[in-house]
Amino acid sequence: MTRGAVTREAVVLPLIFLTATLLGGLDPGARQPWAAPSLFSLCLAMLLIAVLVRGGALVGERLLHGARGTLANANGFVVLLSLFAASAQVLHMLMPRSGLPALIVGTVLLVLLVNTLAVSPDRPRLLRSLAVVFGSAFLLKFVVLAALADPDGGRTKRVLVALFDLATLGTITQHPLHPAAGYVAFFVILLYLAGIALLPSRPPRRELAAAGGRSLTVTTERENGRPW
Amino acid sequence: MRDDTIRVGGLLLALVYAAFIGWTYARQPQTVAQVTGGLTATIGAYRVDRQAFDDGLAFFRKDQFVEARAAFARADPAERDAVTQFYVAYSYYRQGWGRLYSDDALFGEGLKAVDRAIALAPGGRLVVDDPDLKMRSADELRAELQRGLERDASDFNPLRVLRERK
Repeated sequence: MTRGAVTREAVVLPLIFLTATLLGGLDPGARQPWAAPSLFSLCLAMLLIAVLVRGGALVGERLLHGARGTLANANGFVVLLSLFAASAQVLHMLMPRSGLPALIVGTVLLVLLVNTLAVSPDRPRLLRSLAVVFGSAFLLKFVVLAALADPDGGRTKRVLVALFDLATLGTITQHPLHPAAGYVAFFVILLYLAGIALLPSRPPRRELAAAGGRSLTVTTERENGRPW
Repeated sequence: MRDDTIRVGGLLLALVYAAFIGWTYARQPQTVAQVTGGLTATIGAYRVDRQAFDDGLAFFRKDQFVEARAAFARADPAERDAVTQFYVAYSYYRQGWGRLYSDDALFGEGLKAVDRAIALAPGGRLVVDDPDLKMRSADELRAELQRGLERDASDFNPLRVLRERK
């Protein structure tokens, strides 16, 4: 393994995912500003990791393997654990807190992840898909729903929001978000996606096909003396 | 730098960071001062600003409770000192106390502050040796604040006007 790869695995990835874990649960302005992920978010996080593995964005053997040393495996375990925690927190952060939006977004995320698992896209498509899913959920919660819940604004806006609230029987409107919440969430999503992109991944199918699959692995093993 | 050094360093860094995250979620700090104060208190390095505390005490004795709390907040920005939190609670009690009725909002804040003081005191026991106070233990103060928040038949006792502020 190169020095850069060791640094990435031992320092960079844990720091990225732990920071996403820390800030993903931050709800600025709330009485209890640090929220732990819900059980549903934990289940979605497991599914997300399965999707990453299936799509080749995460190769478990390159983090935990019998041929690696104890220290290297400990680093790999920390990466996996922090990835799971960050995934749970990011998904929890993206889900609206109450009402119909929480139900709908939760269901949609579940369906999208199961669908991605079934389709099993390659790594670039998977990363693009995740960016779109997270971006859409971000826009829904921190732009659309936040605007509906914003207590400021003119009389016309308040009347329209009150009528909307009445028409939907109060099932859509959320508690107002702190102005900083959206910025924190945006940063966390970017950080998380960057972390996902840096995970040890499977070589692209084109390269595998060109190199003849197994022979590529053998070459790598010979170069480094042990797998990866 | 050898690879093993990087790996050990990264592992330690991740463990410390994870412990900090666990602490943050358990303690729920709301300000940066509470984070830094909580962390310094964990290693026993947290100190109250003595000058600001004395200022707060002077205001407290002159019944200037808002000014006293501002000074106490300066003295103990992380809310990690049991005695300061006791005085904060006492200031809420004295400000909220009335001969006919007590101010529920102030008593509620006082109750939160005295609960913080009890949580911070070793073994939950806090006694402040101050001759100016009629309630010197956090337990007495807590009970008094709790009584002030409750509604019962004794609230209509006309003899209540004769009671004294402690």
